[in-house]
Amino acid sequence: MTRPDLDFRRPPALEATAPPEARGLRRDGVRLLITGRNASTHHHFRDLPSVLTPGDLLVVNESATLPASLATRGPTGDVLLNLSTRYAEAVWLAEPRWGVGIPGPVPREAVAELRSGTVRFHPIAPYPGIPRLWFFRSEGNVLRAMASRGRPIRYGYLSRSYDLPSYQTIFSRVPGSAEMPSAGRPFTRSVLRALERRGVGVATIVLHTGVSSLESDPGRTAMPPVYPEPFAVPTATADAVNRARERGHRVVAVGTTVLRALETAWDGCRVVARRGFTQLTLGPDRPAHSADGLITGFHDPRTSHLALLFGFAGAERIRSAYSEAVQKRYLWHEFGDSQLVWAGAAG
Amino acid sequence: MTVARRPRPGPGRKVAVVTGASQGLGAVVTRLLAGEGYDLILVARHAAPLAALSNEIRSAGARVTEISGDVAVARTRSRIVAAVRPHRGLDLLLNNASELGPSPLPPLSRVALRALEQVYRVNVVAPVALVQSLLPLLERRHGLVVNLSSDAAVGGYPGWGNYGASKAALDLVSLTLAHELHDLGVGVVSVDPGDMRTRMHQRAFPGEDISDRPLPEATLPFWAWLLGRPNTEVTGHRFRAQSEHWGARA
Repeated sequence: MTRPDLDFRRPPALEATAPPEARGLRRDGVRLLITGRNASTHHHFRDLPSVLTPGDLLVVNESATLPASLATRGPTGDVLLNLSTRYAEAVWLAEPRWGVGIPGPVPREAVAELRSGTVRFHPIAPYPGIPRLWFFRSEGNVLRAMASRGRPIRYGYLSRSYDLPSYQTIFSRVPGSAEMPSAGRPFTRSVLRALERRGVGVATIVLHTGVSSLESDPGRTAMPPVYPEPFAVPTATADAVNRARERGHRVVAVGTTVLRALETAWDGCRVVARRGFTQLTLGPDRPAHSADGLITGFHDPRTSHLALLFGFAGAERIRSAYSEAVQKRYLWHEFGDSQLVWAGAAG
Repeated sequence: MTVARRPRPGPGRKVAVVTGASQGLGAVVTRLLAGEGYDLILVARHAAPLAALSNEIRSAGARVTEISGDVAVARTRSRIVAAVRPHRGLDLLLNNASELGPSPLPPLSRVALRALEQVYRVNVVAPVALVQSLLPLLERRHGLVVNLSSDAAVGGYPGWGNYGASKAALDLVSLTLAHELHDLGVGVVSVDPGDMRTRMHQRAFPGEDISDRPLPEATLPFWAWLLGRPNTEVTGHRFRAQSEHWGARA
């Protein structure tokens, strides 16, 4: 699959440029498009518990977002350093940019030594095949620098900068994501209470997301390369997923990160406890086995997320749901509306 | 055999030995280690490309000792140990130097026994010998031994029996050493880097176009990952550098 296969028209006005709270809504007040075998139906996110059945299992990502965007001073001027993934105590994969809305590549001489307070970054090598990403060796306490001076990573489509709590979900527990695992964002205490009353279980994984900026590069025709991200599927979650499926219940992955973690832990017939870094890409040539449903936001044309959705539920089902979402003016991006997609005959 | 320069070791700096460092995969990992701030003892048979690589990373600030020689020769290995000793410890031993054997690859039924023995000397005996003599220095830093393997070790591909069987032996060397050295805090892993566009790969397929294979740089993220893990998380594992995920059952 190439990127033109993943094209559709989405008017620019359908970008969520601010969190729902800034638009006068509760987090669970965003809209929820439920796409099943036959059609899509229109709901609000707070209705989720009522469309699930007792015994169903939600799997959520416990990764918390870091304030991973650091303003740095380089030898030729200011560089915005978006820290993507920590590979070692003092080794980071990062994306140096000229600014929030101005990507690189930034040449080596401009990143020869980047400073933020007492923290320094030295370039090691560009990521193979992705000149916009560099491995850096860090000196000093990067997490402390982030805590005092870092901002959440954002791109040009957001009208302004929002504080870190806007980028956390109710499940956020383990700091490490460069960008919010946003599918969990609409969950609230009252939704969780209603799920519990309904008899729907919740299990957890961790997958720390890296930067997504390459996804939005309109010039590319090849699929953007996927780079490895840290993940962990614990024993309790592997057991809960296998048990639910053995008993004929449905497993719903909350987010593409969860689906990729579960699929990385899929051994051919069940989910096993596994941890490490994964660069698994899902799509029509690699459909998912471990989940029946997927809760996710609305994804841009030509992205790997959209390829994943096509593989999960079939291109026809997603194309028809997306044209309905455009028509009914659902909102895109991390602060936008949600979709619950059922695979096969699950919903 | 020459030892070009012996810098004074710095306090608290990590130290690595890379064999087969001058070209291909060895050079890629060497540049990464230099960027991560390691002091390096680099070993290769050919002095000129080794000197070129050393000068390149030295000008970027790395501290390098060059040893040109064959790891299958005991005297080369003594020089390696002597070069590590002033550092008072060793964090990483990368046994990357490998012998493919004759090119084109002869079937096992016809391979010259002298060639068979030479492949084992480089690919099996030398890594074991280096671990034996560097063990006290590895132990002091809870170092990691990385032995370079190949999918030929499990493939049974015609023509690859000589090289493949030596790498299968090396895989078992790695696993056994991982168990034996566990209580000393020394980790041992085996890494299959996957097909790559290198001189060795070209020698295995003389006259064929191998431009569809990725450059050895493709494995760089794997090495950055591996070097960032504690020994306890990785020791005893056999990794494939170009696989969809790296790690273990939790």
